[in-house]
Amino acid sequence: MRAKAVVVCPGRGTYGQAELGYLQKHHADKVEFIAGIDRYRERQGQTTVSALDQMSSFKPSMHTTGDNASALIYACAIADFQSIDQEKFDIVAITGNSMGWYIALACADALRRETALQVVNTMGTLMHNEAIGGQVVYPLVNEQWQNDPALQANVSKTIEGLNKQPDVEIYTSINLGGMLLLAANARGVKLLLKHLPPQQNRYPFALPNHAAFHSPLVQPLSARAKSLLPAALFTQPDVPLIDGRGKIWQPCATDPDALYEYTFEHQVHHTYDFSKAIEVAVKEFAADRLIILGPGTTLAPPTAQVLIQQLWLGFSSRACFVQRQADDPFVLSMGRDEQREHVTKYSGSP
Amino acid sequence: MNRAEILHANFISRVQASDFPETAIALRPAEVGLSDAEVADLFESQLMSRHLDLVSRRLSARGESFYTIGSTGHEGNAAFGKAFRITDMAFLHYRSCAFMTQRSKQLPGQTPLYDTLLSFSASSDDPIAGGRHKVFGSKSLLVPPQTSTIASHLPKAMGAAHAVGLAAKLRQVKATMPRDSVVVCNFGDASANHSTAQGAINTAGWTAYQGLPMPIVFICEDNGIGISTQTPPGWIKACFENRAGIKYVACDGLNILDTYKAAVEVLAYTRKTRKPVFLHCRMLRLAGHAGSDVETTYLSREQLETSEAQDPLLHTARILVENNILSATQVCSLYSELEERIARIAEIAIARPKLMTAAAVMASISPLRNVIRPVLAVAEAARTETFAADQRLLEKPQHMARLIGLALADIMLQYSNAVICGEDVGKKGGVYGVTNGLIEKFGRARVVNTLLDEQSILGLAIGLAHNGFLPIPEIQFLAYVHNAEDQIRGEAATLSFFSSGQFANGMVIRIAGLAYQKGFGGHFHNDNSFNVFRDIPGLIVACPSNGRDAVQMLRACVALAHEQQRVVIFLEPIALYMTRDLYLPDDGLWAATYAAPGVGSAIEFGEAGVTGEGEDLCILTYANGYYLSLKAARSLEEQYGKLCRVVDLRWLLPLNEDTIVAITSECKSILIVDECRRTGSVGEQLMTLLVERGVTAPAARVTAENSFIPLAAAANLLLPGVDSIVAAALAVMAVEQP
Repeated sequence: MRAKAVVVCPGRGTYGQAELGYLQKHHADKVEFIAGIDRYRERQGQTTVSALDQMSSFKPSMHTTGDNASALIYACAIADFQSIDQEKFDIVAITGNSMGWYIALACADALRRETALQVVNTMGTLMHNEAIGGQVVYPLVNEQWQNDPALQANVSKTIEGLNKQPDVEIYTSINLGGMLLLAANARGVKLLLKHLPPQQNRYPFALPNHAAFHSPLVQPLSARAKSLLPAALFTQPDVPLIDGRGKIWQPCATDPDALYEYTFEHQVHHTYDFSKAIEVAVKEFAADRLIILGPGTTLAPPTAQVLIQQLWLGFSSRACFVQRQADDPFVLSMGRDEQREHVTKYSGSP
Repeated sequence: MNRAEILHANFISRVQASDFPETAIALRPAEVGLSDAEVADLFESQLMSRHLDLVSRRLSARGESFYTIGSTGHEGNAAFGKAFRITDMAFLHYRSCAFMTQRSKQLPGQTPLYDTLLSFSASSDDPIAGGRHKVFGSKSLLVPPQTSTIASHLPKAMGAAHAVGLAAKLRQVKATMPRDSVVVCNFGDASANHSTAQGAINTAGWTAYQGLPMPIVFICEDNGIGISTQTPPGWIKACFENRAGIKYVACDGLNILDTYKAAVEVLAYTRKTRKPVFLHCRMLRLAGHAGSDVETTYLSREQLETSEAQDPLLHTARILVENNILSATQVCSLYSELEERIARIAEIAIARPKLMTAAAVMASISPLRNVIRPVLAVAEAARTETFAADQRLLEKPQHMARLIGLALADIMLQYSNAVICGEDVGKKGGVYGVTNGLIEKFGRARVVNTLLDEQSILGLAIGLAHNGFLPIPEIQFLAYVHNAEDQIRGEAATLSFFSSGQFANGMVIRIAGLAYQKGFGGHFHNDNSFNVFRDIPGLIVACPSNGRDAVQMLRACVALAHEQQRVVIFLEPIALYMTRDLYLPDDGLWAATYAAPGVGSAIEFGEAGVTGEGEDLCILTYANGYYLSLKAARSLEEQYGKLCRVVDLRWLLPLNEDTIVAITSECKSILIVDECRRTGSVGEQLMTLLVERGVTAPAARVTAENSFIPLAAAANLLLPGVDSIVAAALAVMAVEQP
């Protein structure tokens, strides 16, 4: 019997230095699919995803900007989705993080592939050209990925205090498992970096080339997006979708207009609750596996952190999760070669 | 093969064969305002509900599910789950799975399948009851949980609807529901016969008949049978079609379009007019009352098959196919996918943790709350205005009835959400004048004169609490509470327990009670048993003996109701209401000058009152017993040289055991003076406590006889008096009597 799987689509920031050449390495068999994306990019006067993927070195100024990163991640993720061995896995639901929502729409056929590319590319370009502010990452868990109430209380208090200052706007951008992504205007970002106490030698840090996604600061982009992307592009999904509020969009019960409205309104300028999406995915679909599409591996820890929050399958700590992953991985990250092998029927060059 | 499995097998085969039940209702989705996707969505909820029932029975056979009273045949209530907003508080009966599933779709992020399966399997992870019971409830979906098996949820639903109207008038109250909300309450045809249902519907009509707001939709889901007893055909319609003040509407619950159409219509009517509706909805009870019910013992195979042929799922499948929303194949695929999905979720749910200790089970009975801030007393200027007409009263000592009334006035000032309700509490001032003048001070919206139906009075109180009020209902006599006790026992007291403390209905129920009235005799007005409260977990019973204490204790009780959300009984001894003197005529020792908030010694929850420091005898008592014991103590001292301490317990549930043991341990003898019946009353509990805690001093009891109270002076033959107390005291102290 096929294993039941929920597919998780990655968001921005998942194509990093280690992913350079991802398309080439894993998807040399999907020549026509990638060529189609390249042709679209050329028509827009943008660098092709093939060219970006095949560059000799990773350039943050090229690879992490919204206009390029979005299409590149989209290409990798959709190609990964196509690589899932459907004889082994029965995909029972699809969800995603942030920009991963557009990819999820494509995977579920609520958007045709070429339409989805248009949506991803348009939104990425709009964010690049017109969005303001930035995103700051900060942990809410300890090093064992368990909730740290004191840390959470402290963050809330700090944000509350900073928001009282003039010309500061700080919002919750994404509930990302044990991580909190904050959206803020430029002054807000600066103050967050200064006032949030350092954690784990890394945090807080600002995500390069990210805007104040999922906050009122990018609300004007909703109207721009809707003027460029008509509702008629949307159809009912083939597979249940779980959005950034944890709402389930059932195939036969979805109103495409409502899906369109959510995608370009609430999803754009309200908090994206990835944690809730994963919680709903495991509770309401009881999948045997969660498959995180590549590129990258950065979505696996937040996913695991949600599982630990829910004590799902007995996961109570990072160590416990890592042990289970070594024995019989519940989360299959296609960006990791050893886990990718469990998912695909084809891997590597032809 | 059981009928649930037969239904299951029939569904696929009949859909595949396009063998659908016929209908006389020719509605199209668009005609009732539904899109194709919305009809499919309703169908999905119906299927989820059906499969949850089915999987529960399969799990039950494996010993993994503990609740099989299902919603099969009632899946049409999904339409109500869609029509009503999640801010329209819903009081649901136990066949409401489709309602709940559909309602949960209004709020993204809900996990109704998993949550329902957790409740079936009594997991402590169940987000509403924490494994304590299978209930439909959700804080975020505004569904207070209850078991609903005896229609005891109708009075509080009615009360909540009344509270919506009150909140619209009293803007200072932070109401739970928006002002235009409509309360929804469903129940079965058999349950409609319960006195609770009849009383609540009567009260709703009585209220609306006067033009007062009562925005509630009662939905009677009529499946024609109550366990094995058939409802006479036409009974529900005949009973409710022409009720004063209530609009009657009927719909076919087997047809999802007709059900939704009716729901939208009645909801629009009630939202606009604020008047109640009785929505009579035809349903079927399929697959028996519960998993253990063998229907063939009282229904013929032909009767069962006739019902099963009308399976509401087949009706909706027909609508989907006829309107080209889904093909028969798609219907079957959806059905099978959901069956498989729910079975998968079930396997995870049954492995989740269970309640493992008594402490864990009991944690939600009366959890310590520390988030609700105390309400401060109002500024003196506001008091001066309110008490302007009471200056003479404030200057002179007053009896207990008057003092309680003054304390209530201050409480009403202090707590802007406090509402007094009960029969005659308005201009008459309640049964003994305690609430005199309050309606003039605070108006009809906050001093609510109700009809004389104790279930409705207490239901009103619970409903008020659900919408942000602090209710202070009055029950006229202790005996009268007995026809309504389940509103306290089964509803108010269990709310926190069944909701893991998420819902609460803090209130202070004032009850005039106990015996010794001189001018007004007989059992019903002199009932001396409050045992009905004594075993209710989480309940508090306070019983003052005098006005000075009553003022302070009432303040403590209201604070407990507000800050700790506790349900408190404030038992007022009628015979001491007007008493002014203790030892001698005109000594005035039982009257007191009113102490404004912050003045005088506060009485804490559990704090006993002790008079005397004697060690020869400790008298444990309360109410009239305390009054009589003080007299007896004086005799014992004057005539026998015995020094006593007399303890007014004040708080009769829970007993402050440590204090009682500490006080009695210092004395050579102990006498319990209990004005209630010898059997089962608090005196027994006190004696048990002394024995169990190793208090070795000789102890005895003086109690009332195991009798009802008769008229006139004959009552004294049964009750403790000064003489009998003195005699018992001498006996326990082994003093030879003259």
